[in-house]
Amino acid sequence: MTEAVVSVQDIHKKYGGLGRKVHALRGVTMEVPRGSIFGLLGPNGAGKSTLVKILITAVKRSGGGGTLLGKPIGNKDVLSRVGYLPEHHNMPKHLTGRQVIEFFGAMTKMSRADRKRRAGELLELVRMSDWHNKKVGGYSKGMRQRIGIAQALVADPDLVILDEPTDGVDPVGRRDIRRVLQAMRDDGRTVFINSHLLGELEMVCDTVAIMHKGQVVSMGSIESLTTGMLRYEIEVDQSEPMSLVSSLLNEKGTLRGGETIEADKNRLWIGTTEAATIQPVIDAIRAKGGMIKELRTHRPSLEDLFMQAVAEDDSPGAAPRAKGGSPS
Amino acid sequence: MIIQTMALLVDAYRELCAKKLFWITMVLSVLVVAAFAMVGINEKGLTFLWFQMPADAFGVPLTSETLPPGLLYLTMFSSLAVPYWLSWIAIILGLVSTAGMIPDLIQSGTIEAVLSRPIGRIRLLLTKFAGGLLFMTLQVGVFSLLAFLVIGIRGGAWAFEVFLAVPIVVLMFSYLFAICVLLGMITRSTIAALLLTVLIWMVIFIVNMGDAIAVSIHENIRAQERVQVARVERMERNATQVLLEERNTERADQGLEPLESLDPPPTADELEGKDVRLASNKLELEELRSGEKLANRWRQGIYAAKTLLPKTQETINLLERWTVDREALQQIGGGPSDDEDQRAMEEGQQATADELGNRPLWWILGTSLLFEAIVLGLAAFMFKRRDF
Repeated sequence: MTEAVVSVQDIHKKYGGLGRKVHALRGVTMEVPRGSIFGLLGPNGAGKSTLVKILITAVKRSGGGGTLLGKPIGNKDVLSRVGYLPEHHNMPKHLTGRQVIEFFGAMTKMSRADRKRRAGELLELVRMSDWHNKKVGGYSKGMRQRIGIAQALVADPDLVILDEPTDGVDPVGRRDIRRVLQAMRDDGRTVFINSHLLGELEMVCDTVAIMHKGQVVSMGSIESLTTGMLRYEIEVDQSEPMSLVSSLLNEKGTLRGGETIEADKNRLWIGTTEAATIQPVIDAIRAKGGMIKELRTHRPSLEDLFMQAVAEDDSPGAAPRAKGGSPS
Repeated sequence: MIIQTMALLVDAYRELCAKKLFWITMVLSVLVVAAFAMVGINEKGLTFLWFQMPADAFGVPLTSETLPPGLLYLTMFSSLAVPYWLSWIAIILGLVSTAGMIPDLIQSGTIEAVLSRPIGRIRLLLTKFAGGLLFMTLQVGVFSLLAFLVIGIRGGAWAFEVFLAVPIVVLMFSYLFAICVLLGMITRSTIAALLLTVLIWMVIFIVNMGDAIAVSIHENIRAQERVQVARVERMERNATQVLLEERNTERADQGLEPLESLDPPPTADELEGKDVRLASNKLELEELRSGEKLANRWRQGIYAAKTLLPKTQETINLLERWTVDREALQQIGGGPSDDEDQRAMEEGQQATADELGNRPLWWILGTSLLFEAIVLGLAAFMFKRRDF
């Protein structure tokens, strides 16, 4: 079994005082495997940032426990092996890009020579070498984000936690960031991404967890989570495709083998991954004079997964924002 | 640990250098010292650039004989530069420059990145606090160095004691900066922290004024009381003498020996019968005594209140206490007055200056540092417990 880099059990967090308590985390349990890109997704207010802030000691948990790189959560020394990029980060504007990276290197107790060398490497990696001597205050959002990621990587961390890393970054920048993250994974490091941009996560994540209202509602690899949702999709030239296959349906409205069948406009979805199962369907359509325009297997997107996971309760978020913390 | 501390201090320095106000304050410091350098003194009196002022322009004879140039510059440094420039204007500019330090640190998006590094919150806060003091250290350091050069070159005295201004002014600034840090932690706002700190400083200033007034009133009443006691005793002595002479005249008429003294001593009524002013003067003395008691209660009350507050004024005054020879300055002012009441007033003023200027060092620094430690401790406690 792969060793877990992050392992949390039954984490609770309550904000606020008398009369306005906010239960931001309601017993979160999850494990992040080493050497993977892990995506934590959820709507705004689900508690993603609160969970991450508990890991990096900016927020104190109200209950539960866990480990970070094998040490109890709250241990300060282990943080020298963790890189972190906060959501809406505010890097010191009076420093240049290079100075920001070197400053956070020093805060991780790196020697002066190591900081200088590493800053040079990272500026190359995030393609900011030409701007390294300009003040951060004059950077665009995307440039600040690149420097933010570089400072998170300065100490060559075993685990890097990025909260909304592609927020405000243009498509080229997003591709660059993906490239950096994949290179880290290939290097055996673990990347933990918090995001609500599902398309971004889908492109890079090996494992995802979906949080909703302060709880993990689903977790696993994208393949394992979507396997049960694979379907065949058949597009025909008629607007009521169900009438073409009515002869195949039993009294429950499914195929005789129990496979589900659904229609929408001129499409049919058959809940199976077996090619043999849909042959009679094709025959039935053609027998009734229907013409098949397209036939393909359909793997649900992360968005489908997400929507299904949070569909049970559509009200937005776990709770309103609390003063002194931001359960987002 | 040293790497992190150095990084935070260098960051504080860069933050200050990035502020225009830092450089404006620095330029103003240079201008203030330059203005001092323009003042000179020779055997004819004070000079400003090439203008000669008469020796008695300030009411007392000021020439290079009565006031050597070294003492002139040292006096200007400790009586003008320190109380007005360093302890008011430079400190206000310092507070304006550094008030944002804590609100900026704890703003969302910054604090998480710093807390995610292996550094304890208390050490982070204290190092930031030290970074704020760096501003004042640099400013006062440059100012003192320039003043040292002016006193040395223009006054001919190499007064190393002017560098005492650095720890003393930084110490005084640290009392206020600690308040500013706590308020920044509570309000998360630079403006609110700054304005409330200045407000508290004003309260401390008013208490200081109240203290000086209470001590002055008390000491003046005591001096008047001493004069009044002497006056009443003199009147009683004179009246007794008159009574004795009257008795001896009677005894001479009766052929008896004159008396050396009256036995039993004369009653108050007998004495007052001989000097009509005695009764009113005794009444005045009683009024002074009851006034002295009331003034003393006020003085003790304000002193107790001050004990709980940081001693901003006394801390700054330590510089004058340690740098200027006050006896040398007093000689310039001339001797005591001949008039009894005038002398009482002078004595009262002198006693007030002695009382305010000789308060124990442990009280001035000890209670102020205790206040600062409590305020900083409170800020650290809040910082340690807070979720960001």
